[in-house]
Amino acid sequence: MKLDPRTKMVMVLCLSGLALLYNTPGRLLLLLAVTVAMLLIFRFDLGAIGSYLKPFLSLMVFLFVIQCLFAPSGCVLLAVGPVPLVTTGGLLTGAGVVLRIVVVTAAAMLLATFNARDFILGLVQWKVPYELAFMVSIALRFLPVFRDELVNVVTAVQLRGVDLKKVPWGQKITMYSRLLFPVIYGAMLKAQRLAVSMEARGFRVYPRRTYLRRLEFSRADYVVLTVFPAAAIALVIRHINLLAH
Amino acid sequence: MSFLEIDHVSFTFPRHDKPVLTEIDLHFDQAVITALVGPNGSGKTTLTKLMIGVLRPACGEIRLDGRPLVEYSLGEIGRRVGYVFQNPDLQLFCGTVAEEVGFGLANRGCQRETVEERVAFYLDYFELKDYGGVFPLHLSQGEKQRLAIAAVLANEPLFLVLDEPTVGLDAYRKRLLEDYLKKISRSGRGMVLVSHDTAFVDRVAERVVILENGRVIEDSGRKGKAADEA
Ligand SMILES: Nc1ncnc2c1ncn2[C@@H]1O[C@H](COP(=O)(O)OP(=O)(O)O)[C@@H](O)[C@H]1O
Ligand SMILES: [Mg+2]
Repeated sequence: MKLDPRTKMVMVLCLSGLALLYNTPGRLLLLLAVTVAMLLIFRFDLGAIGSYLKPFLSLMVFLFVIQCLFAPSGCVLLAVGPVPLVTTGGLLTGAGVVLRIVVVTAAAMLLATFNARDFILGLVQWKVPYELAFMVSIALRFLPVFRDELVNVVTAVQLRGVDLKKVPWGQKITMYSRLLFPVIYGAMLKAQRLAVSMEARGFRVYPRRTYLRRLEFSRADYVVLTVFPAAAIALVIRHINLLAH
Repeated sequence: MSFLEIDHVSFTFPRHDKPVLTEIDLHFDQAVITALVGPNGSGKTTLTKLMIGVLRPACGEIRLDGRPLVEYSLGEIGRRVGYVFQNPDLQLFCGTVAEEVGFGLANRGCQRETVEERVAFYLDYFELKDYGGVFPLHLSQGEKQRLAIAAVLANEPLFLVLDEPTVGLDAYRKRLLEDYLKKISRSGRGMVLVSHDTAFVDRVAERVVILENGRVIEDSGRKGKAADEA
């Protein structure tokens, strides 16, 4: 199935909006199922999601543990003296946080199933200024660059003889936080070089841009554009009603 | 037994059908400087990445110091083999030039004074003394290259793999690098160096391996050094 990039953007907004709203693992799992079904429809390689999430695995474990420990509620499963360590409520909250990250990442993958040009074109036809649309698409393109950068640094650090797996947690955190700044700054330097090369090729020399193609909505687009927001709005209203009771 | 042994190694990038390397058989000894040469895209960088375990061969085996490379962690390999990337931007990750040179030593638990002493020596030798507090990626290409080399050498690895280390260096700095590499070789450590710089290769290398289309088409080491010297 081929949908307009704008339709996909609306889908992503609906899915990630709901993921941020929901906090129970059950509903988040349902949402994940819908997202995965969408990805399959667009023939996205699901293995790639795994490789996207892999660098964030330790962060997710960390968040899970923190939530487990600091949001105790429900039955106590494991306690040290009077302090509840693992509770059913804590486990559910922890699982919720992790699932939320997975759903948002998976939904964002839908954006990867169309190219940056179509994305810009779609936004511009919705009267978004070209510069802004271009910036958003560059930001999207830089996400994988940033991930590659992280992978590179992790490799380079180990090749200097540091066994990252064996470094104790406390030391690892200080090391990562010391590396964070140079990595971000390095990525910014690369972005700056991109800006120079863009200007050298005449970006924004003429105030008006022309476009070769126009995107047209198909019938499938109209269906999705109706069903997704309608369903999302209905679910949000239901959620708010449930909270109110 | 050689220090680094590559046996029947072939390699294809995932989701590609054409192999980048086919049936590579190479043994590298300590105290020998080997140059790996060949046209662009012949697979030199890929071969060096296989040698340090960043890439895994599809078939064949690589052994380091007698043990299969797959049994080592990247950190363990890094302490034995120093690797200088083709692109220095990929291996500089610290906040200052001095930190970069001392990173390996400091994280291996060396005494602060020892680290500082060695950092000072390498900064001095590679003429980076005035840049100790500078952000590495702000250096010029040649300075970054020298820093990447200094940071790897400061770890004093047993073996070196350098991917195009002379790119961006002026004649005088090339001479300095040449002297240092020869000194390392005299101290009994071996190295593989990828280079297009024929003059540099002629001056430094004792053995030349030529790679073309992912195959070794010539290896001056095979004839045996004795024959060469006769
Ligand atoms: N990450 C990669 N994915 C796919 N192909 C690659 C990748 N890296 C290199 N190649 C291909 O492998 C071949 C050998 O590359 P490389 O080892 O970098 O050559 P050299 O260093 O000799 O110039 C080239 O044809 C190159 O296009
Ligand atoms: Mg190369």
